[in-house]
Amino acid sequence: MSLLIGMSFLNGLTLAALLFITASGLTLSFSLMRVVNLTHGAFYLAGGYIGLTVLKATGNWALAVLLGGLFTAVLALVEERFLLSWARGNDLIETLISLSVAIIIGDLILVVWGGNPKTIAIPKSLGGAVVIPVIGIIYPLYRIFMLGLAIFIILGLWVFLKKTNLGITIRAGVDNFHMVSALGINVTRLFTIVFGLSGGLAGIAGVVGGTFMMLGPGEDWRILLLTLIVIIIGGMGSLSGTIVGALITGLIYSFATAFIPQFSLFFLFLPVAIILSIRPQGLFGKEA
Amino acid sequence: MNDKLSLNIWKIFFGIISISLLLTLPWWSSGYVVMMVIRIMYFGMLTMSLAFLAGELGWVSLMQAAFFGIAGYFVAILQTRYSLPFPIPPLIGIAMATVAAALFGLLVIRTRGIYFLMLTLVLGQLVWALASQWASVTRGDTGIHEVYAPMLFGISTAESKTAFYFFNLIFFVGSIIFLAALKRSPFGLMLRGIRDSESRMRMLGYSVGLLRYCAFIFAAFVAALGGVFFVYFTGLINPHSVSLTTNVDTLLAGILGGINSLGGAILGTGILKMLDVWLSGVTKRYLLFMGIMFMLVIMFAPQGIVGTAKKRLETKRKKTA
Repeated sequence: MSLLIGMSFLNGLTLAALLFITASGLTLSFSLMRVVNLTHGAFYLAGGYIGLTVLKATGNWALAVLLGGLFTAVLALVEERFLLSWARGNDLIETLISLSVAIIIGDLILVVWGGNPKTIAIPKSLGGAVVIPVIGIIYPLYRIFMLGLAIFIILGLWVFLKKTNLGITIRAGVDNFHMVSALGINVTRLFTIVFGLSGGLAGIAGVVGGTFMMLGPGEDWRILLLTLIVIIIGGMGSLSGTIVGALITGLIYSFATAFIPQFSLFFLFLPVAIILSIRPQGLFGKEA
Repeated sequence: MNDKLSLNIWKIFFGIISISLLLTLPWWSSGYVVMMVIRIMYFGMLTMSLAFLAGELGWVSLMQAAFFGIAGYFVAILQTRYSLPFPIPPLIGIAMATVAAALFGLLVIRTRGIYFLMLTLVLGQLVWALASQWASVTRGDTGIHEVYAPMLFGISTAESKTAFYFFNLIFFVGSIIFLAALKRSPFGLMLRGIRDSESRMRMLGYSVGLLRYCAFIFAAFVAALGGVFFVYFTGLINPHSVSLTTNVDTLLAGILGGINSLGGAILGTGILKMLDVWLSGVTKRYLLFMGIMFMLVIMFAPQGIVGTAKKRLETKRKKTA
């Protein structure tokens, strides 16, 4: 029993790591552009499948992650430049356009890669399992690597947003978009960059996630659902909120899967309901 | 004024024609057309519930199919598993869907715009997850089969499509009257007030939350009614009926016809359901086609057919005036 609890806890942590990588991109583009990009789950899945194909062709897992991310970054750039900018300023229309793009990408994926669930092979250097000291549970090395990767991305995003010129401009745009625009900064370019970065993160998450979970039809919407729950709990547009939201969502989902599998997804209704009734803007969200 | 009068005469004229056509439909058309119209009627009820929220409150919902499905699932479970006699399963089904709306409504009333859209997407998907995962009750992805339509006045509506048609027609027209009356009532006016300026309505002393809450429950009630006819007509229910695809289909139908009017919702549903039949014979890429159509309508005609037609008429009238 305690082994099950320990395993669920670790699985929850690694799922949280994956959810953080996915949700950080979504929350970043939301906080700047006020668009909930519903294509995010489709980007995740597209990135994962591209990674799968690259891995089959080259056998290089790191390259697969890189190209998967790059592909969805380009996809996101195109979506932002040619479709979303069409309705710039009308956030509802922009969000609905992103929904239609998600449906189109989801069906195209089905055409190219078929409907059978697939998994990306774990790279040899990250295969096997290690004994975690103190609690003494044998755990796959790959999942521990994922945890490290998420922490690396957290630090990377933090340095990018706090220390680089571009990051500071983005944060200024989040706080007061009109002022930044009035200062003569090219906001259109800023939007495109952030959207590309956000899409790239989703693609990377797709390859990383596809290596320990299945890639298959419907997975795009499951990931989008979990990601939206993360940012509803954590608060839209807050990076620290995304970390906490990912931890809560990951742990609850993992424990629910272990103990009450029939309700594993529906059980997430609980934190959403509790958070929304106490703090409608999310744990770390600002008052709208 | 004269224009308005002639418009009203036209409306009454079209109303009488369409009612007499609908009342005599089974005698002058084929069984295929009757079945098609039945389909359009119950999905039309689902679309109307979405269009009511969108038109009156500016709320674009991605969970109306959840209420449609909850009612359908309750009817199916109570009838096949507990074999309860006729009026009980649909009554409980509609009541439970309304209770679910009362529960979910507490969470959504404070949101608007994309936040409402996002939250209803999440809640709708959670209902779908329940339908698909809670296999001991919902039978998972296979769904529940052999749900027979009831006997009414000694006629089996399961066997006679004509009887089923009139059974459905009564409630379909009832739903239209119900929602149209709500729209015309002071309640509808208050809702549009909230849509246009929430803070002003709040200042005037209206309870914005309560009004929204009631509207949400009324809309769910109509969707649930549609769900009962859906499960009776098709005889089965599975997670697809509460899936995101069904929700997006409903939204597409609403936007295609014109989200601000009930007539537009029915028109949109009719077009989409006929396309659906035609497309499924031609291609397997229904979702791809639907996605592209959704995108084009959103980008080029967000007002829909009825909305665009109204705009045309108005500009024409302005030119002549």
